[in-house]
Amino acid sequence: MVSVRHMHGTLGLGKRDVEHADSVTAEGGIVAETNENFEDASNELILTDEEVVRFQIGEVFAHVPREEVESRIDQMKETTDRNLEKLEQEKEMILAQMAELKKILYGKFKDSINLEED
Amino acid sequence: MATPSNIVATERRGIPSASFVEDVQTYLTQLGLDVNSALAFLQESWIEQQKENPKIFAVCLVRNFCRLQQYKMVEMKLLAQQRDLQAKIPDIEKCLDVVATLQAKKGTGEALIADFEMSEGIYSRARIEDADSVCLWLGANVMLEYSCEEATTLLEKNLENAKASLEVLVADLQFLRDQVTITQVTIARVYNWDVHQRRIRQSASPSDSISAAAASDAGLTDLKPPCYTPYLAAQKLA
Repeated sequence: MVSVRHMHGTLGLGKRDVEHADSVTAEGGIVAETNENFEDASNELILTDEEVVRFQIGEVFAHVPREEVESRIDQMKETTDRNLEKLEQEKEMILAQMAELKKILYGKFKDSINLEED
Repeated sequence: MATPSNIVATERRGIPSASFVEDVQTYLTQLGLDVNSALAFLQESWIEQQKENPKIFAVCLVRNFCRLQQYKMVEMKLLAQQRDLQAKIPDIEKCLDVVATLQAKKGTGEALIADFEMSEGIYSRARIEDADSVCLWLGANVMLEYSCEEATTLLEKNLENAKASLEVLVADLQFLRDQVTITQVTIARVYNWDVHQRRIRQSASPSDSISAAAASDAGLTDLKPPCYTPYLAAQKLA
């Protein structure tokens, strides 16, 4: 007899993994967007000839010299890059887990189970 | 990670846990005994119990369904809290940024010129000289003045707390989802078991009219969405 508890365990984990994967992908999307914004900002910076740039800190725009703005943007870009990498790694791990669980379940049920997302 | 944990907490921060049902027959019998003892019934004969079974089955389904609704309520509450926290954290980080900038400027001795929003679409220029202290909005119409270091400490502590709460919340939500899955499985299995029983009864004694089936049939046809097919299949295979 199929061990219902074991099957439930794997399915429960599978469901949790799917939702986790979704939220991680959403986060990754946001981080990628932020990265793009930084790229645009640094491009604009190169084009402008003004010496003092209004850089948004919190809710105010502080007058900051160009070089400082450049270094700040670079710093922020690095942080988001690292974040993105971490999220990608997490996503890889979750997808690997999901693939393993799918293998187990397909092995047990063969055709009587449908695990694809519609 | 594929092995399910055998240690299940009886509840977690106020969320009752759903215990996994190993065998539907014993589960229903136990429930029957509970229900009957609560009603101060004396079930002498097994036949009596069989006749009572449809009622017990309905009670069990209703109970589990109510549990499911409760879980949904808790989930909504937790999601709202999570959204709040996720909005608060970037806010605190922005404040920390500003305080850090002020502290940095303090060292150089020059004033900080900033453009800030006075009203929608209207900005004004401000000149901030040596900033020794900042005022922090604590909520409830209260604002306190702090020195830059104190402000940094306070903001960092708030950020830590917010992040920790968010983590706990996420774990709670995961626990909740597991319980929801268990409850849904229980409902499906009890329903299948009843269908199974009914088939046996009909094949054993076709003259027996199962009138109480009306109670269990009504409104339960929506209990078999696609995600339950594995459990139905498992019952067939078992």
